[in-house]
Amino acid sequence: MDLGSLLNALILGVSIASIWLIAALGLTIIYGTAGVINMAHGEFIMLGAYSSYMLQFYLGVPYLLCLPASFVIVALVGLALERGLIRYLYNRPLDTLLATYGVSLVLMQGVRLIFGSDPKYLAVPEIFQSNVMLGSASISTFRIVVLGVTALLVFALWLLFYKTRFGVQVRAVMQNKEMAASFGINSGRIYMMTFALGAGLAGVAGALFGVLAIVLPTMGASYVVQAFLMVVVGGGSLAGSVVASGVTGEMQSVFAFFTNDTFARFIIFVLIVVFLRFRPQGLFAQAGARR
Amino acid sequence: MGNLYHNKTAQWLVYAAFFAGLAVIPMTVDDSFLLNQLATYGVYGMLALSISLCWGFGGILNLGQGIAFGLGAYGMAMTMQMQTQDESNPIPPFMLNNSLDHLPMLWQPFQNTYIGMILAVAAPTLFCAVFGGIMFRARVSGPFFAIMTLAMLSAFYTIIIDRQPYTGGVNGLTPPSSLQFAGFEVDPYSPTAYWVVFSFLLGATVLAKLITQSSFGLVTQAIRDDSERVRFLGYSVAGYETVIYTVSGLIAAVAGCCWVMLVQYVSPAQLDVGFSLSMVIWAAIGGRYSLLGSIIGAFIIQGAQSYLGDAFLATWLLILGGFFIVVVRFLPNGLASLVESGLGLFATKRGPASAEPNGDAKPIPAE
Repeated sequence: MDLGSLLNALILGVSIASIWLIAALGLTIIYGTAGVINMAHGEFIMLGAYSSYMLQFYLGVPYLLCLPASFVIVALVGLALERGLIRYLYNRPLDTLLATYGVSLVLMQGVRLIFGSDPKYLAVPEIFQSNVMLGSASISTFRIVVLGVTALLVFALWLLFYKTRFGVQVRAVMQNKEMAASFGINSGRIYMMTFALGAGLAGVAGALFGVLAIVLPTMGASYVVQAFLMVVVGGGSLAGSVVASGVTGEMQSVFAFFTNDTFARFIIFVLIVVFLRFRPQGLFAQAGARR
Repeated sequence: MGNLYHNKTAQWLVYAAFFAGLAVIPMTVDDSFLLNQLATYGVYGMLALSISLCWGFGGILNLGQGIAFGLGAYGMAMTMQMQTQDESNPIPPFMLNNSLDHLPMLWQPFQNTYIGMILAVAAPTLFCAVFGGIMFRARVSGPFFAIMTLAMLSAFYTIIIDRQPYTGGVNGLTPPSSLQFAGFEVDPYSPTAYWVVFSFLLGATVLAKLITQSSFGLVTQAIRDDSERVRFLGYSVAGYETVIYTVSGLIAAVAGCCWVMLVQYVSPAQLDVGFSLSMVIWAAIGGRYSLLGSIIGAFIIQGAQSYLGDAFLATWLLILGGFFIVVVRFLPNGLASLVESGLGLFATKRGPASAEPNGDAKPIPAE
């Protein structure tokens, strides 16, 4: 075993971590704030990919503009879903899980009816299609783009949650909804905004994943379990998800280096279960009341 | 006059009528293909029953019931596969294709049909006991436990795909001939196979019903409603949760065995997240607080999928998803709660009506 290829695996691990993190970001916001287990998150990712495809194919929007556009489109879908369904279920967390699974079936089949089951592809600018050398490791430029976008989003979310008035309100509602309400914070509105925000983040993730992999109606299902695990391991906080994705991404890459991808994933799943046995509240437990 | 829905005698009578109805089927159905299909619905009924027991009566939402079902199914498929191997040809063909020149340790117990079948049920049950015991003692509950089962399910799914020489990988196992049991061949298209599934469904239902009506079942229902209070009363919450989860896993493992007996096939698809979630959908639509309701939920959904699915091939999932959303939103206790409130209406109407003739103005005390 040479050190160079291990280094390679570590660099690839950062990339895997960024992919897992961006898939989990929206879920973290939604779960962390409202305690909603959104099984439709994978389908939000899928909708993001299809939004980008539509914009690109029918309107000829350049790829980089598709990212924010997907955010807006999927955020609107999330907003509609929250107003129409989720807001009635906040006091029944297990039922949100079931209802959103129903939503995911509807979205998946709806998209399949409209676009068909054949794969779609997203076109990216020429410069993203090349590979770059990082020391001895070769990595595709687009994975660096994903890493950059993820870092940017995490930073933006940190600013939003810790430096703005809205962020203070969100954190207040997170800690104690009733108390926050008695200080004049409209918790229903906060939930609505965070759900839309989380959905929008899934949309961005979808626009990126549409390039990394092919665009299919079923593409969301492969991300949702991992995204959940990142959120649960992290404990529902932004920092928790970042650390959880970082550690598991690296572990996935290193284990895969010694065995193979599938077996590495198996080890990760088992390790996560063992970890949560000893620390069910996750890496960084939320301050304040647990729902 | 209370609500007939909560009357134990009436419940047992309805259950008896339901199973009498199922027992008539093989006498009236000649089409062996249809009979086989109906028997697979029985397997789905068992799965919905196991979810109802664990989720409706134990409050444990299990999104990984596919683990017990899938492991049971794999155990049975391995047993049936080994029945077709003999001295001259001791290794299943797919192993040879994966360049395995001897039978792996994992497979050796399955050479004996009885040991194989016992293992097929015991291994998943033991897994549930250990996994449940560890999780519940760490007080993992509610949505967390649901996610953990999901993680475990994905772990099994990936390992089965990965260990292709031992498990057949994505292709799964297809035992070439039907089950031989005690010198007797169980043809999956015969009424015998139907009766086997029928008896297991009946047995599982009676077992589950007795559990829910016992004092043990009352404690699990109390845990479902408020586990902290039950803990303060001195009960071992983790112990009760583990037992109910394990019994539910046992039923699912038996269902897995029956399923392979009927279809002679198992693949990682049986451990797919979607399949485990559809078991939960059956129980939720039928009514998770009613064992019979869940079984009927499975029959309705799977029946509709087979028959409407052909007509509405493209929109079936759309219909199912939409229906499921409506049930969760407006009818959280499923279709069975419609029956409950319907009978409740009847019960309250009956009260004043019987009071009227003797002109008694006094209100009848509630039961």
